[in-house]
Amino acid sequence: MPTIEELVEANAISRIEVAMELRDQPMRLLYGTPGFVTWLNEILGGAEPKSRLGEATPAEQIDQLFHRFLSGSPLIHLRQFRFVRAEKNAVWELKTPDTRIFGWFLKKDCFACVFGNWTDEVKDHELYRGYRIAIRRLRRELAVDDTLCVHGVDPDDVLSF
Amino acid sequence: MGLILMTSFHFDIGSRARNAGRFIGRVQSELLRALAEKKMLRKFSQQSLARKLQVHRSLINRQLSGEANLTLRSLADLAWALDMEITIELKDPIVEAGSNQTFTTSTIQHAPIKIINGGRKLKSRLPANSDRQEMPNSQAKSA
Repeated sequence: MPTIEELVEANAISRIEVAMELRDQPMRLLYGTPGFVTWLNEILGGAEPKSRLGEATPAEQIDQLFHRFLSGSPLIHLRQFRFVRAEKNAVWELKTPDTRIFGWFLKKDCFACVFGNWTDEVKDHELYRGYRIAIRRLRRELAVDDTLCVHGVDPDDVLSF
Repeated sequence: MGLILMTSFHFDIGSRARNAGRFIGRVQSELLRALAEKKMLRKFSQQSLARKLQVHRSLINRQLSGEANLTLRSLADLAWALDMEITIELKDPIVEAGSNQTFTTSTIQHAPIKIINGGRKLKSRLPANSDRQEMPNSQAKSA
């Protein structure tokens, strides 16, 4: 049963950070798998969806979502985050207009990002089930289902507001 | 050759893009919070907002979710329909460390009430014997 530090040391996840204002103290934690970090690098490289919905670029959307998350700002349930399916050890989704990020809460206020994709792609190809199954499999492989996974599906179970 | 471990990843988009993205996000979040606050008081729904503005509910939904661009006029219209006023303020960045500020004027849930021009910084600019009534108008920028 590994700890978060051991998962980081094993390169299973990396801490994700964004620039914070001097007045901000990190209030929550974000981690990402190597595959997710690769996707973030594509976003930083200027990747765009076929048809962009938001006024902000995908990189700007993700930066502001991560900043809100990390600085402890309230996130609006259903609009900005939601569970994929109500179940024990649920998979959760973080949302911006043009992107969807899938992962799970290791602890309250501590999210591990596993997959990122364009909103259109996720909806058009109904990728929710596939991502959910893949994330459950990853958790089993990492042996974290019992120790590093929030069990509740109430927003208050996963985020302090 | 040893294995290279990446223990952290810094998602850095540059200060200009960061400023733009976070501002757009703040405006959208504030709209969502204002609507949620009205909903809790049973004063408004997205449907009643659309009816009042005489637009389709899907447009309101897309504006609130950030999937449709907000112009200043559409922002003003939404505030009018919510029976709320918009406060805009340009100021120097706060540089005091350790006091997260959530950029909101809403009082829903846990958000603090933001006091405009009531901060220490402004007070410190005033002479010790001055009172607030002598404050120059140029320092009171709220609209």
